[in-house]
Amino acid sequence: MQIDGGLIILLLILLPAIFSGVCQMLRAPLQVLRFCIAGVVLVSIPGLVAVFQVFRKGPLFAAGNWLMLDILSAYHLLIMMMVFTISALFAVGYFREEIDMKEFTIKHARRYGSLWFGALAAMMLVLVSNNLGVMWVGIEATTLITAFLICIHVTPGALEAMWKYLMMCSVGVAAAFTGILLTAASTVPVGIHPTEALLWTNIMNSVSSMDPVLVKAAFIFIVVGYGTKAGLAPMHNWLPDAHSQAPSPVSAIFSGFLLNAALYCILRFLPIVEAVTGNSGWGRDILILFGLLSIVVAAIFIIGQRDVKRMLAYSSVEHIGLIALGVGLGGLGTFAALFHMFNHSLCKSLAFCCAGRVGQAYGSNDMRKTTDILRSMPVLGGGLIGGILALIGVAPFAIFLSEFIILKTAIDSSRYWIAGIYLTGLAVVFVGALRHAIAMAWKPPEEMAPDAPAKICLADAALVVIPLIILLILGLWMPKLLAEFILKASIVLGALS
Amino acid sequence: MMDVAHYMGVPLGLCMAPLLLGIINRTKAFFAGRNGSPLFQAYYDIWKLLRKDAVYSRTTTWIFRSAPVVGLGSVMIAMILVPVAGSSLFAFTGDLIFFAYCLGLMRFATVIAALDTGSSFEGMGASREVHFSTLAEPALLLGLAALAKLSGSFSLTGMFGGLSGSDWLASGPAIALIAFAVFVVFLAENARIPVDDPNTHLELTMIHEVMILDYSGPDLGIVLYAAALKLWVLGALIVNILICAADLSGFSGLIVFAGGMFILAVLVGIVESIMARLSLLKVPQLLVGAGAMSVLALILVMRFTS
Amino acid sequence: MNLLTDSILVLLILASFLLLSSSRLSNCIKTVALQGMMVGVLPLAANDSLTCRVTAIALVIAGMKGIVFPYMLFRTLRESTTIKELKPYVGYTASMFAGVVSLVASFWLDSRLHLPVAASSRLVVPVAFSMMLTGIFLIVGRRTAVNQVIGYLVMENGIYTFGLAIVRDVPLLVELGVLMDMFMAVFVMGIAIYRINREFDHIDSDQLNTLKG
Repeated sequence: MQIDGGLIILLLILLPAIFSGVCQMLRAPLQVLRFCIAGVVLVSIPGLVAVFQVFRKGPLFAAGNWLMLDILSAYHLLIMMMVFTISALFAVGYFREEIDMKEFTIKHARRYGSLWFGALAAMMLVLVSNNLGVMWVGIEATTLITAFLICIHVTPGALEAMWKYLMMCSVGVAAAFTGILLTAASTVPVGIHPTEALLWTNIMNSVSSMDPVLVKAAFIFIVVGYGTKAGLAPMHNWLPDAHSQAPSPVSAIFSGFLLNAALYCILRFLPIVEAVTGNSGWGRDILILFGLLSIVVAAIFIIGQRDVKRMLAYSSVEHIGLIALGVGLGGLGTFAALFHMFNHSLCKSLAFCCAGRVGQAYGSNDMRKTTDILRSMPVLGGGLIGGILALIGVAPFAIFLSEFIILKTAIDSSRYWIAGIYLTGLAVVFVGALRHAIAMAWKPPEEMAPDAPAKICLADAALVVIPLIILLILGLWMPKLLAEFILKASIVLGALS
Repeated sequence: MMDVAHYMGVPLGLCMAPLLLGIINRTKAFFAGRNGSPLFQAYYDIWKLLRKDAVYSRTTTWIFRSAPVVGLGSVMIAMILVPVAGSSLFAFTGDLIFFAYCLGLMRFATVIAALDTGSSFEGMGASREVHFSTLAEPALLLGLAALAKLSGSFSLTGMFGGLSGSDWLASGPAIALIAFAVFVVFLAENARIPVDDPNTHLELTMIHEVMILDYSGPDLGIVLYAAALKLWVLGALIVNILICAADLSGFSGLIVFAGGMFILAVLVGIVESIMARLSLLKVPQLLVGAGAMSVLALILVMRFTS
Repeated sequence: MNLLTDSILVLLILASFLLLSSSRLSNCIKTVALQGMMVGVLPLAANDSLTCRVTAIALVIAGMKGIVFPYMLFRTLRESTTIKELKPYVGYTASMFAGVVSLVASFWLDSRLHLPVAASSRLVVPVAFSMMLTGIFLIVGRRTAVNQVIGYLVMENGIYTFGLAIVRDVPLLVELGVLMDMFMAVFVMGIAIYRINREFDHIDSDQLNTLKG
């Protein structure tokens, strides 16, 4: 079967953009939410075809090589489709109550649907662009589009979170643009035609003659800039606010994929800087530094946290740091980091969605008030507790496995300091989060717990159980296909070659 | 002919300095639609004051009495160093710092004399004067340093002598910045609007005027004359920067220079007519701004001559 | 050394200083408009061989930075009651000192980096650095949301100038994309300010401090 790769890639960007417009024409809030599900399924079809093509035959190109889908971006595409699907499915249950209470009107719904698909289109642009400039445009677009998703409901807290998010990420992403300019400048001696100088494939082909100093400077700007958006400490300040104030399906997208998309941009630059500096590990060391810092900072903030969504947000800081650390360690660590990316996105979107529903039922996200949830809300509460347990690395969930491989990589390369800090950070997170989780699960309520939401249907239960089962299976048995996929992707990042 | 012109700079300044005040006042009067005081009013005032007797407060000491003479002496020394029409009476390497310190000594004399009176108002004026000077002085010195770097000479005479029309083409923005910075310093040091209002009668807002409240008779005359000389000296710096003295010398140079001073005085009059006095909190900003321009000029000059 | 380019660059720095020292928001917007306009026409002054494309892009960018963005900011300002930045985190005199320090730092940085400069003047890169630093300083050091947006614009001006200096030819599509994003950014920030203003009765972002920890 001959499939035109370019057409598929264009379809991947255009479909969400069209759906974004269609949302404005729908008439009922529930209709919009259902359309989100249909839309994401429709986008998934060409998405899966493209991923399969890339897996079997290698990168797809479109628009004069300006767009490209290689194995690394295909892997990210897979994660993105998964996160958006979970978000869309949960949104129905999450907003249903608000629809009943007339808080989520058609106006809100249209805005939500349009921005939701807009975010999908922008992130898709990030993934499929081969041109580093276009990739930047995509990232900046995600910032602007998702800003309004935070304040679907205009409250002081949401506005504050939105403003912080806007300012910090705009400035950070602007810094990243400086890094791109420096990269473009460093390609001058190579002699690529200026209009093609920013194509990633071209840069990768001519790394030998680029100026190392410039590329190093560029990489620092890139890491700090995109790192802001990815939530790497110490540029993570916006993250807990935005995640905790946004509606839960949006938080799921934020944590599950927005951060990964920004990290993806950093990862794109890593092979360049590694090749230019002669594989000296300079770029990887920077990632290790930021990764460790993120883990430590997140650990400190998780201990005293009261708001469950903020705790999950800090956990995202920790896990993004973990991924950066894994990629920084290289070798098997890269493999583990990419695997971890999948596990984290799946688990975090589940946890956020459950936390949102629980918070709705209790009328608060304060963990001191939302107690005894296993009894009052067995399904969603169980999902939240299970999600937290998986997130902190309880065996045999898959996250334990990926964290363990990262630790093994650090020790194998006899970097004991890194292993030590890493373990300490994970231990603190483990204890801190577990303490909160136990209290939430079994501590007798001080006030009357609310009745469980009336509409817990089979779909909800399936939504909670399936991701947990996937995580469980992946922790015990890794399918050959997935392993090969991740292996190929880590080769793009210069590991295990 | 050349020799006479060479020595004419200082006498010219000594004679014409009070005239600047007259020109400024006439310009302001013109903008306000008045006839204004005669051009030579400052001379009349000084002459009148010199014939009077001085009254001294009982709290003052010799410091208060010596300050006007010290001030006049130091500003006159500063005047010797400043070239007029390309030549000064006296020049040595590094005299630009000596120049700045002469003006500093004058200010110091005024300030301690003001403190010597023991009046709270004068103390307040002294405090403001010192505050603003600490900001104005770096601006002046950095500006002069930039000029020194540009011309490659560390004396005022060599500096302005080394400046030519081609420098304007090469680093025009830098020279313009210096000129502007020195102009702000010139306004601040001479207590003109927008930093201080020489005509105000409200002690709370005054800076320079409040410091000399207790002087009377010949002392006040000397203070006024010294202030006029200071106006002339600092003004001469600006005119020197702008007219590129190297290209002109002799009597024609003197005439051009005097014309430059005249235009400068008119400019000050215009500034005073169209601007309001800044609030005291804003003044440091203006002076730091002038300092920033000097720094910028210095950086520009250093990058393009190195 | 190109006298016209250098004059424009010096004016850019002076505009930055003006922004650091003025408290009236409408003045700040006017200044940033002027700065944007000058940044926009900079390629016309710096280039020896003007092509039609360069001219057209330069004019579009000058129009956006000099007219459209300020217009949107002015509209935002009209909706709000705040006309002055009353108590910035960093006072105006201190801000100017910071400006001087960042200026010196920019020149120092430039002398250390040895960037391959494509532009005609050696001043372009340090001026760009100083604008970026000034922009960040404005974002951090000011309370009103409008001033923070202005800081963002100054920073963008710096980055644009920087790009002008070191990259000879940014692809048209990327350039338009960047411009589009900037337009969107100002637009979105404008709406955000409007909402903040409606919710809090003012646009001081320092009241936005309930989310902590």
